[in-house]
Amino acid sequence: MIIEIFYLSLLFIPLCWMVILALCFFAQLDLPERFLTESVKWISVAMSLISLTLSALVILNGSKALYFDYPAWLIVGNYTFKLRYVVDLLGSTYALLTSLLVGIIYRFSSNYLHKEEGYFRFIFLLTTLTFGLMTVSFSRSLDLLFAGWELVGTTSILLIGYFYNQVQPIRHSLKALVSYRLCDMGILAAAAWSHHYMHSTDFTIIPELIEHAHAGALSLLFIGFFIIWASLAKSGQLPFCSWLPAAMEGPTPSSAIFYGALSIHLGPFLLLRFYDYFSHFPILLWVVGFVGGASAIYASAVGRTRSDAKTLLAYATISQVGIIWVEIALGFTQFALFHIVAHASLRTWQFLRSSSLIQDFFENPTVLQDKKIHRNLSFEKLASRMVRRKIFIHALHGFHLDYFTNKILDLFLAPFKFYIEIEKKWMSWNNKFVKLIIKK
Amino acid sequence: MTISKSVTVVGVNKSWKYSILGILALMSLIFTSFFLLNNGQTSVITSNSFLEISFDKFSLFLASIFCVSLLVGLVPVRKEHELSTSFLYYVLGALGIILSNNLLTFFIFWTFHRSIPSLRFVRGIKNEHTSGGGTFLIQHFFTFGCLLALLILATKSGVATMSFSQIPAPFFTWPVLILSFIIIYESHGIFPFHSWIHDMIGNLEWYKISSIFLSRAGVLLFVKFLLPTINQDPDIFRIVLLSLSIFSSIYWTIRGIFETNVTKTTTYFYVAQSSLILTGLQADPVAARGAYLHMMVISLSGTSLWSLISYVQRYTSVKRLNQFYGLAQHYPKLAVLFCLFGFTMIGTPLGAAFVVEDLVITGLLEQHPFLGLGHILATCLNGILFFLVFSKLFLGRTSYPQKIKNMDMSLSQMIPYVLVLLLMFSIGIFPSLFLENLKW
Repeated sequence: MIIEIFYLSLLFIPLCWMVILALCFFAQLDLPERFLTESVKWISVAMSLISLTLSALVILNGSKALYFDYPAWLIVGNYTFKLRYVVDLLGSTYALLTSLLVGIIYRFSSNYLHKEEGYFRFIFLLTTLTFGLMTVSFSRSLDLLFAGWELVGTTSILLIGYFYNQVQPIRHSLKALVSYRLCDMGILAAAAWSHHYMHSTDFTIIPELIEHAHAGALSLLFIGFFIIWASLAKSGQLPFCSWLPAAMEGPTPSSAIFYGALSIHLGPFLLLRFYDYFSHFPILLWVVGFVGGASAIYASAVGRTRSDAKTLLAYATISQVGIIWVEIALGFTQFALFHIVAHASLRTWQFLRSSSLIQDFFENPTVLQDKKIHRNLSFEKLASRMVRRKIFIHALHGFHLDYFTNKILDLFLAPFKFYIEIEKKWMSWNNKFVKLIIKK
Repeated sequence: MTISKSVTVVGVNKSWKYSILGILALMSLIFTSFFLLNNGQTSVITSNSFLEISFDKFSLFLASIFCVSLLVGLVPVRKEHELSTSFLYYVLGALGIILSNNLLTFFIFWTFHRSIPSLRFVRGIKNEHTSGGGTFLIQHFFTFGCLLALLILATKSGVATMSFSQIPAPFFTWPVLILSFIIIYESHGIFPFHSWIHDMIGNLEWYKISSIFLSRAGVLLFVKFLLPTINQDPDIFRIVLLSLSIFSSIYWTIRGIFETNVTKTTTYFYVAQSSLILTGLQADPVAARGAYLHMMVISLSGTSLWSLISYVQRYTSVKRLNQFYGLAQHYPKLAVLFCLFGFTMIGTPLGAAFVVEDLVITGLLEQHPFLGLGHILATCLNGILFFLVFSKLFLGRTSYPQKIKNMDMSLSQMIPYVLVLLLMFSIGIFPSLFLENLKW
């Protein structure tokens, strides 16, 4: 009962705050910055305390998963969309991480975005993100998880384009949008596919249902591929890497929370949620491991050719998340969860400090010496100078990843372009023909 | 001949404008209350057994969203708009189509409704005022021929003046199915009978185009004429219909991505969404309920988007999306409204279209899993197109700031839009309340 109240509070607090902010906007109530700062401060303190207690209760309960079912949200014919939630170690840990880091970001933003024109917008989007993440953390069905997943994606795109009067952030937000939308197809397809073949989207019972499902192994395997596909863009894994460094155009606090901490780890979170299902299909674990490993190597190589702090951090993040994918593939799920928490915390700190990097450098010049020591011990020295130079040149161009993805996109669009040209000619011929008849 | 004369009277008279708005308001009230009070009974008005007008729940639903959508789109911009007198004929023709209950009545009103723009095109081509129009006229003539052929077949079988619901299944032979397919798809702007839409944009005012789409001639014919006996039709027929409507949505979206004309892109986005209505209707009863809801969502939100675009175009010289215009700096409220209307259409959680997508995709995957994946692709691409339009119009920075006036919407102008948005989000949050009423 207490656990239920606690996790529902974590869902309802950001939702209510979101609704209040939206109503204030439409009623044209200009909320003062001080009021906003104070409000989010107390909200984040309350949420952190609640999620901390919730995590403690889950651990005291022996880390057992607790299931909560509510009356159907939507009933049409035989189809029902039930509000199903689960409170387990994975969900409560992610919720705790969300509450604590969002609190830190709220506090940091009160100074960083002080007197900024879009402060209200920033707070609204961050609250929506919190609600989306809480939904993802506690949802037990793919449909519900998709709702939270989409909210996180939408807020992410809007925050990349936070400085909306500049062209470059908008271009980059569109780039992120394309990657997100293409991969979100995966989660939607997985939901519909599992509904079709297993008559349920509850991922806690999907592993059990696999043995009783009236479908071929290939059909069931598809669900796994869709899940992996959906995780690719959010966690910036190959081939959807290039949007992440570009997404750093947003304000530093949003870069920290999205691409250093919470949004970027949603991919591994989803894989962990589906680990029981993946364990039925070793090929899926191989795919996860391969993608993660390749992304880690790729990001590590490309990151070394970049010179600005935020881009370097972005590639370092991709690389670490790739390693988390490998850990999941190897079956180290507890370790992967620990890695997520540790990595998210460290990256948040690094991203938030990135704007004062120059000052840090002057205050602590030993940073450069540390870097030199690190370079001397590098594995790179094992390769010949020529090989290193070639790798460097390719890494500088991001291994031409954008070129190849654009080529694939062009191939998809080519028939449409061809048809559009034909249609234009046909329409012009029609015009001439009709004109001739009417004039006569 | 009479119609032709009336069409030439382009009114700028204020009383005319208010009369039309008054009529629309009255009809909105009547149809909406009749729809809400209707418990499934059908009132049929016949004239010598030839003309048959029906006030069944489905027709009342269509009529209600037709009037409310136009009213919501027109009221906020009433001071700026010059509603031409011919608009009344569009409204009359559309309502005739919506309420028609046999093939002959449908034929008469469809011909009347399409003749109004056709005569305008003929006159335009004669006087060299119109750019294009040839494809519209050829396709209109072709569909008119198909409808006439269908009517002849129906007369021979003695069903031309019979109520749609009483037509026996043996009447639906292959020629009848093919003719109906052409009429439905052409009326709905679905590939490969879609090219007439290009001709309309730029030559007709947005509210006239909107009234043509809102008449939902294709949907009406499908639901009343084909749907009752569709289970007895060959499977291949249904699969072809489904594939074409999904492909059509993808085609329109990609066409929109390549297009730079603002009005054309918005219309393509609207038509891409409309194509998905037929997908839902053809799939299964669950998806059909989603499609009815979708019809309501895109009618209201789509007309509002058109109306907002026309408002923007009136005060800015924005015609082409070949650069970023950054209008959000000058029109912040309008930008938020535009963005939210788009969200309600592309399936963002908490918005109405989220429910629609859930129902349609689930229903479609139950029947045809691979076509369901096509639908998911179409939905994702629609989202990309919307963001593209939104960012090009409202975000970034224009190179010609002197051409943009600061004329953001007043609170009173925003009220109708805000009410529609509240409805859309209420549907998204409490869908069962609304879906209960969509049964006939």
